[in-house]
Amino acid sequence: MKKILLKTENLSKSFSSGGSLQHVLRNIDLELYQGDFTVIMGASGAGKSTLLYALSGMDTPTLGTITFGERVISNLNQDELAVFRRDHCGFVFQQIYLIDGMSVTDNVMSAGLLVSKDKKAILAKAKELFAAVDISEETQKKFPTQISGGEAQRAGMVRALINSPEILFADEPTGALNSKTGLDVLDTLTRFNEMGQSIVMVTHDMRSARRGNRILYLKDGIILGECDLGKAGLPDDAGRQEKLAAFLAEMGW
Amino acid sequence: MGKSFLLARSNLKKAKGQTAAIIVLIFLAALMLNLWLWLSLDYRENFKRCHDRLNAEHVTLAIDGGSREVEDFLEDTLEGDTRTAEYFMDSVMHMVGTFEYNGGEMNTELIFFEKEAALSRPIGRIEIVEDSEYTRGVYMPNLYESDEIAIGKTIELSIGNRKMSYTVCGFFNSAMTGSHNCGLCGILMTEDCYQELKEAACVPQATLCSIRLKDKSESEDYDAMLKDAVSSRFAAARTVSNTYDLVSRSRYISQMICSGIMSAMAFLILLIALVVIASNIVNYIQENMKNLGALKAIGYTSRQLVSSLLLQFTGIALAVALWGAGISYVLFPYINKLMELQTGIPYEIRFLPIPFFLTLGALGGAVSFVVWISSRRIRKVEPIVALRQGIKTHTFKKNHVPLETTRAGLNLALALKTAFSGMKHNVTVCITMLVLSLVAVFSGVMFENMITDMTPFLNMIVGETADSCINVEAEAEKEFLDKMAGDQRVSKLYLYNSVQMLHVGGDVLMVTITDDFSKVNNQEVIVEGRFPKYDNEMAIAAKYAEERELRIGDEIKLTADGKQGGYIISGFVQITNNLGKDCLLTRAGYERMGEMQNTSYYLNLTDGTDIGAFNTEMKKSLGDKVNATIDIEATVESAASIYVLLMKMIVFAVLALSVVVITFVLYLLVRTIVSNKKQEYGILKALGFTTGQLILQTALSFMPAVVLSAVVGVTVCSFIINPLTASFLKDIGIVKCTFKVPIGYNILAGMGMIGAAFGIACLLSVKIKKITPRALIAGE
Repeated sequence: MKKILLKTENLSKSFSSGGSLQHVLRNIDLELYQGDFTVIMGASGAGKSTLLYALSGMDTPTLGTITFGERVISNLNQDELAVFRRDHCGFVFQQIYLIDGMSVTDNVMSAGLLVSKDKKAILAKAKELFAAVDISEETQKKFPTQISGGEAQRAGMVRALINSPEILFADEPTGALNSKTGLDVLDTLTRFNEMGQSIVMVTHDMRSARRGNRILYLKDGIILGECDLGKAGLPDDAGRQEKLAAFLAEMGW
Repeated sequence: MGKSFLLARSNLKKAKGQTAAIIVLIFLAALMLNLWLWLSLDYRENFKRCHDRLNAEHVTLAIDGGSREVEDFLEDTLEGDTRTAEYFMDSVMHMVGTFEYNGGEMNTELIFFEKEAALSRPIGRIEIVEDSEYTRGVYMPNLYESDEIAIGKTIELSIGNRKMSYTVCGFFNSAMTGSHNCGLCGILMTEDCYQELKEAACVPQATLCSIRLKDKSESEDYDAMLKDAVSSRFAAARTVSNTYDLVSRSRYISQMICSGIMSAMAFLILLIALVVIASNIVNYIQENMKNLGALKAIGYTSRQLVSSLLLQFTGIALAVALWGAGISYVLFPYINKLMELQTGIPYEIRFLPIPFFLTLGALGGAVSFVVWISSRRIRKVEPIVALRQGIKTHTFKKNHVPLETTRAGLNLALALKTAFSGMKHNVTVCITMLVLSLVAVFSGVMFENMITDMTPFLNMIVGETADSCINVEAEAEKEFLDKMAGDQRVSKLYLYNSVQMLHVGGDVLMVTITDDFSKVNNQEVIVEGRFPKYDNEMAIAAKYAEERELRIGDEIKLTADGKQGGYIISGFVQITNNLGKDCLLTRAGYERMGEMQNTSYYLNLTDGTDIGAFNTEMKKSLGDKVNATIDIEATVESAASIYVLLMKMIVFAVLALSVVVITFVLYLLVRTIVSNKKQEYGILKALGFTTGQLILQTALSFMPAVVLSAVVGVTVCSFIINPLTASFLKDIGIVKCTFKVPIGYNILAGMGMIGAAFGIACLLSVKIKKITPRALIAGE
């Protein structure tokens, strides 16, 4: 029996646009499990990112509840949500969003020091993670605009993992990268998932989606279907690829 | 031009908040600049206009006695001098008198005119500015119009041992006898009152000689010549005089102080406004690098882009300066009212084109220049580079405050990173805080030395103060001294007599004589060297010495009663009573040339003694042997209250202005930071930073510059405030200010400024609350 990490009930999100109400998410009931690599797919405008940010406490739902463990997070205010995010979540963004004015190390330390004051321990953990994602000592001292996109995204992952989050949210993490560096990033995510890290990733790329063990397909604000691919294995696992292709075809992809 | 105008309009629409803040700073600068130009270019000219309108004299001399022989002598002397343009002599009454004014006593040389005669004087005409139906009484200089001295009310004049009551019938204006600051204060009497006073024979008759010169700049020399001639011929004649130069300066002391402070504030606010504009333009270029690249790519030239900024800022500057200068006309009547309390000369407010257009020109020119200099960077923007790279705000020279090694807490460390990366902001903050430090220290010094305890101000301005001054006839001096020696209420008694003498080859000097200067209350009068000890020594006004290039150890010649004597300068003094034309002599020193006809003694009375009652008792007891008694405390209080009121207003105004300036400067800086760091704040919020933490970081990022500049500013200003104030007051004879610098207040003021800056920055940063991580995702 998998442990439920996040649970939503009747999760809805609407935006007011040009005087009319746009329902982006509609009554979503969802459970996310510990250790899973959950992938959210769907066409553009399906509500993937909105769902991701609602789940992560980055945004608040219009209706419904989101429960993290035993705690309802959908009724928290902005500052409480910030504390929730720092304590339980890690984020990897499509645009990476490292802070230009800080060195790579400082980008990671700034997130780590939010949770712990043990600077030595944070630094040791950062060094360990940098080594795991293959970021050299020299690169760690550089500023974000002085490094490559792949290095920046891997540094972004180190920042996301520095506080050992219970869940890592990734929004199109390879969207701004070329195929080679994108592959490196996916390999890294896969490796962390294999080590037990729970991941929720939004993507519209089949190659990326194959890394997940659970695929959710979102259409017009509802979860149209889901597919259990089994634990992510080798990237060229033909059976998983076929299963995913068939699922997506069924969903109208 | 049309394209530049469109761009300027678009820029303005995008930066409404910034524009509003710059508008406030330019408005304040224009307001202060126009007021300063008004005061310095036209207000003082009002005296010249009044002087010309009333065909007033350049030298006035009153000689007691007024015999035919004196008048003939004067006629011969005046006619024989080629500098004389015209003169007029008439008969008046003259004596030192006292009346209540402004909660104290006004003690001055009173000249009693018969009203009709005064109004028809061909030279030194007097004009009635307020009349009434009362036909018997006195007309007072309009300077003294107050709650106590008003039409229909009774004024009590103390002349010698007598007290006389008169109904106030109205008020008059006179260029040379319209204020105690003139040295001679006129009082007009209706004919019957004048005759009664004359018949009572309690006030000496005098000849008032009013002389107009061909060249008014020679008034001081002419006065010196005339007094020397009179004292040589009539050694016993009591004379009192004033000159155009002396009166024009002494009646405009408040204008000078106010104008000095206005000019300082105007330039400081303008400086802040220019720094803020320059900083804004640099930020604008950084923020809009891609847009500028795009505009260049579609064919806009650098000149057009710079022109749009020039149009935008110069247009704002001129429009706002127009308002600022215009609003100064609304404010000026209040300043004028305050000023008239000291000048006593009515000032007609009218549109003055020169200050107005100078204000517009100066502000427009300064803003255009700064915009042109700051926007030159646009020329270096290459379209392709700008489009590709967009904003580049970090120079990557150094990682300031690395988080892995710093001992600072996270929020402080991130704030320090922001501080180190925004050196232009720091410069703006530093300049603003340095200016505010000066304002705070100045206000503290004025508050401490003029409002809380006036003694240091009085010591510097008035010179010597005591409780009472009693002037007795020379022959009654021994009797008076014996009586005082036996009076338990008198704790200290010393001779302190002032007479005029001529510096041979120089000006008329007010000489203060005492037996032993170590006994006088105010030892601070000496600013260099020491008091005179021997009969061949003198101390002289530092300002006069500087003008005449006199040094300690030099010998100068003085003349009185037709005799000359040489004196070695033992020290420099500063006394402003005679606007820096003063000197000190020992009694023995003075008696080498002349005999004192009457002597003034200063008295310190024991605590609790009623000074007024004591003086009245002395008058009764010694009768006609007492010429005058002065309640010095009340007199000084009365005269100083105008300056205290003026200073209170100035201190309040500059402090209020400072709060406005720091608020708007911080608003602009915080807005720029929040705007530049919008994405960064979104990222930090996504990572788990709370709004409170980000507000704290933003406010703390200003603190290194704020703390450094406040500490340096307050410390440096504490040291320079006295020399700086002395330079403002140089015209009235001050060369060295010895104001007490309130260290405790200054430390508190510095801490207050830091606290206020932090508080204001926190409040202004609340805008960060609106930044949500969702905006980051949505690309808002």
